Amino acid sequence: MGAVPVPVPGLAPPSGPAPPSGPASPRGAARRLWSFLRLSGPHPGVLIAVILLVSGAVCALLQGPLWGPHPLLAAVNVATTETFIFTGLILHRDRRTRAVAWALIIAGALRSVDFTDPLGGPWPFYTLVFGGMDRLAGAYALLRYPEPRLTRPQRAFLITLGAWMVIGRTLATVISTPRWDGYPASSWWIYLYQDRQLAQIITDIVNAGQGVLGLTLIVLLILRLVRTRGLDRLVITPIIVAGLAAVAAASGTAIAQMLSSISETPNDAYIIEGIVDLALPLAFGVAVLQSALLLRSIPGLTAQVSVGADVDAVRYALRTTLRDPTLEVLDLTEAGQPAPAPAAGPAPLPPAGRALLPPAGEPPAARDPGPPAASREGPALDVAGAVPPDRLVELIRTESGTPIAVVIADPGLDRYRGLFNAAVQTSGLALKNAQLQARAAQAELGQIRATTARLVEAGLAERRRLERDLHDGAQQHLLALAAQLTAAMTRTTDPAAAEAFRQARDGLTGILAELRDLAHGIHPAVLTEGGLAAALEEVAERLPLPVLVTAPATRAASSAAEATGYFVACEALTNVVKHAWASQATVDIRMPDGALEVEISDDGIGGAGASGRGMANMRDRARALDGELTVDSPPGQGTTITVRLPCG
Amino acid sequence: MRVALADDSGLFRASLALLLEASGAEVTAAVPGGAELLAAIRPSPPDAVILDIRMPPTFTDEGIRTAGELHRQHPATGILVLSTYAETRYASQLLDRVPRGVGYLLKDNVTDADALMDALSRVAAGEIAIDQSIVARLLSRNRTPGLVSVLNDREQAVLSQMAEGRSNLGIAQQLYLSPRTVEAHVTSIFAKLRLEATDTDNNRVRAVLAFLRSASPAG
Repeated sequence: MGAVPVPVPGLAPPSGPAPPSGPASPRGAARRLWSFLRLSGPHPGVLIAVILLVSGAVCALLQGPLWGPHPLLAAVNVATTETFIFTGLILHRDRRTRAVAWALIIAGALRSVDFTDPLGGPWPFYTLVFGGMDRLAGAYALLRYPEPRLTRPQRAFLITLGAWMVIGRTLATVISTPRWDGYPASSWWIYLYQDRQLAQIITDIVNAGQGVLGLTLIVLLILRLVRTRGLDRLVITPIIVAGLAAVAAASGTAIAQMLSSISETPNDAYIIEGIVDLALPLAFGVAVLQSALLLRSIPGLTAQVSVGADVDAVRYALRTTLRDPTLEVLDLTEAGQPAPAPAAGPAPLPPAGRALLPPAGEPPAARDPGPPAASREGPALDVAGAVPPDRLVELIRTESGTPIAVVIADPGLDRYRGLFNAAVQTSGLALKNAQLQARAAQAELGQIRATTARLVEAGLAERRRLERDLHDGAQQHLLALAAQLTAAMTRTTDPAAAEAFRQARDGLTGILAELRDLAHGIHPAVLTEGGLAAALEEVAERLPLPVLVTAPATRAASSAAEATGYFVACEALTNVVKHAWASQATVDIRMPDGALEVEISDDGIGGAGASGRGMANMRDRARALDGELTVDSPPGQGTTITVRLPCG
Repeated sequence: MRVALADDSGLFRASLALLLEASGAEVTAAVPGGAELLAAIRPSPPDAVILDIRMPPTFTDEGIRTAGELHRQHPATGILVLSTYAETRYASQLLDRVPRGVGYLLKDNVTDADALMDALSRVAAGEIAIDQSIVARLLSRNRTPGLVSVLNDREQAVLSQMAEGRSNLGIAQQLYLSPRTVEAHVTSIFAKLRLEATDTDNNRVRAVLAFLRSASPAG
C-alpha cells in the first residue's frame, strides 16, 4: 500500500545508486538494460532524449515534400508529435497512467503520418482511411485520465468513433479513385468499384457523423468535469479545457473539409488544429506537474494546524488541503471511549492502520470491526458507524500505537496517496503535539492547584495564629488593666478618683470590644473550635432574619475548606440581608463523597447576577481550593448559592 | 466569700485576684490551668471558682471539661466560666455537664465588679448565671421553630430572666409583675417544656438549657 509518488523529471528521486562501471555479469547488464528501457533506471532522461531525437527525425522525414510548400504545417506536425511522445514517456513512468501514456505516444506517432500523402505509394490511401486516427487515441486519453477504467458510455463512444471513422472512410475510399481525390493515378489503391456520386455521399455522411461524435465528446468531457470533485477536478481541468479546444479545432477542420474538396483543404485550418492539438499533451504535462505540486500545500497545512490543533481544526485543514468536503476526522480519545485493541474483532485492521472499507453488498456485521465500529458506544461512533463503504480510512496513532483519531475520506484520494499520507501524518503530528501539550498543561495546572491550596492553608494558619496572639496577648493584658482599674476604683475613697478610674476602665472596655471584633474578623475562634456549623450558627444569630442552619454531626476533613465555606456563606448571607428582601434563609452544610458542600438559599426577590465583586470574591476563594460555585437566582424565586469544595 | 481562680495569663490572673480582694472576696488560689486548680482546691474547696474557658493544653474548651470534673469532685462549689466570645454552644455544653451552681460570663464583663460578685454569689448559692449579652442575643434572634417557640412572649421573657439567674421575686421586680403571676408563668413554662413541677431547682436549669439549645442545634 505504499504511496507511489507521481514522477516528474527532476523531482523524482533516483531509484538507486548509479550502476558501478566496469565489468559486470551479462545478467546484471540485461537487468540494467531492461530497467533503462522501462525508464526506471538511473538515467531515464537519456532514453527519453534518444527516443525524442529518433522519433523527431523520423517524423521530420515523413513530412517530406510538405517542407517545401508548407514548412509551418510540417514544423507544427513535428512539434505536436514530439510533445505527445514526450508527455506519454513521462506519464509512462507511473504505472497507473501507463495506458494513457501509450495512448498519447500512439497519438503522437499517428499524428506524424497524417500528412504523408505527398509521398505517394500507399500513403494517399492510408491518409484517406486512417488520417486523423490520432484523434481516437487523444479522446481515449482525455476520457481516461486519471481514472483506473473507462465508464461504459465512454467505452461505447470510443468504439463507435473508431468504427465509424475506419469503416466509413474505407467504404468511401474503395469506391473512389486516386484521381478523384486529387492523387496521381499511379498511387497504390484498393478498388471495389467506382461511383463518384456515392463516394461523395458516403464522405459527407462520415463527416457529418464525425461532427455528431465530436459534439458527443464535448458533452462527455463537460460531464466529466462537472462530475469530478476535489483534487481530481483541480488536476483534470486543464486537460478537459485543452480537449474541448482540440475537439473544436478538429470540428473547424472538418467544416473546412466539407466546404472544399479534400485536395483544397486550407492548410491554415490544419495549422490551427495542429497548434491547438499541441495544447493537449501540454495539458497532460500540467496535470502531472499539478499532482506533484499538490505536495506544496503541506507546509500550509502544517501552519494551519500547528497552533492549538484540535480535531475540528484538523478536519477543516484537511478538508481544505485535500479538497474533500466530505472528509471526516473523529476523535478516538474522548473520555469513556474504549480504545480498540488492535487484535480484537474477527477482521482486525491491517497493521499499517489503513484500509479501504469493503464495498457495499456485504452485510454490515461482516464489515470492518476496526476503530470506527469498535467505538460504537462512544459519542463519535454514530458517525463512524454510518461510514459508507468504499471510504478511505486512515488511523492516527500515538507512538505507543494507541489510536487517537481516524480520518475518513473520499476514496478518490487514494490516487493522491503521497499527498494524503503527508497530510494525515502532518495532522497526526499536530494532534499528538496538542495532546502532549494538554497533558503538560494539566500537570502544570495540578501543580498550581497544589501550590494554591498550600498558600490557602498557610494563610489560614497565619490568621489563626494572629487571632490566638491577640486573644492571649493584647486582650489579656488589657483585661488585666481593666480589672486593676476596677480594683483601684473600688478601693479609693476619693469620688473624683473613682470617677477617673471608671472612665479609664470604660474606655478600655470599648477598646477591648474593638479588639475582640478585630480578632474575630481575622479568624473566628469558633470556626477552629466548633467547626463550620457552630460558626455559621453564631453568624445566623446576629442576622435580622431567621436563618436555619442544618449540618451533619461530623466536621469537614479540611480546615481550609471549612474556612472557605464560612467565608462564602457569610458573604452570601450578607447579600441576603442587603439585597434579597427575604423573609428567611437556610444554610445547608453537606459532605457528599468527602467533599464539603454549603448551600445558602433565601426566599427573596432573586435576580442576583453571577458577576459583581462579591460574587467574584466567592468564586475566587472556591477556585483557590479547586472548588466550584454555582448561583441560581431566577427573578422572583429566591437565590441559591452552592459552593462545593474538595477536602483532599 | 472564698474564691479560687484559673487563667493562663499571669497578669490577668493577678489583676482579677486584686479586683476580687478589693471587692471583699478572699482568693484562696490563683493558678494557670485546670489541673492545677483541681489540685489547689482539694484540701479546702472554696465557695466558688472562676475558670477561663480557653486554657492550655488545647486552648479550646478546657474550662468546660475542668468544670465538669470539678463539679463531680466538689458539687457544692459554684463554678463561673469566663469566655472571650459569647457562644451559646459553650454555654449549653456547660449546663449539660454542670446542672446547678454554674455561670457563664463574658470576660469583658469581669471588670464590672458588681456583676462579677453578683454572678459569684449566685453560683455559690447553687443558682445559674448566664451572661446578659448571651441571653439578649438569643431573645433578639428571630427564632426558627424549636422547643421554646411553644412559649408565648411573656413566658419567653420570664424564661430569659430565669437564664440570667433571677429568682421568682427578682423576675417579678424586673418585669413589673406580681410574684404570683411570675409563679404561674414558671409553672406554665415547665408544663409546656414537659418538666415535672416538683423539682423546681433542676427544672429551672432544664428550662434554661432548652432555651439555650433552641438556639444552637449544632451544640
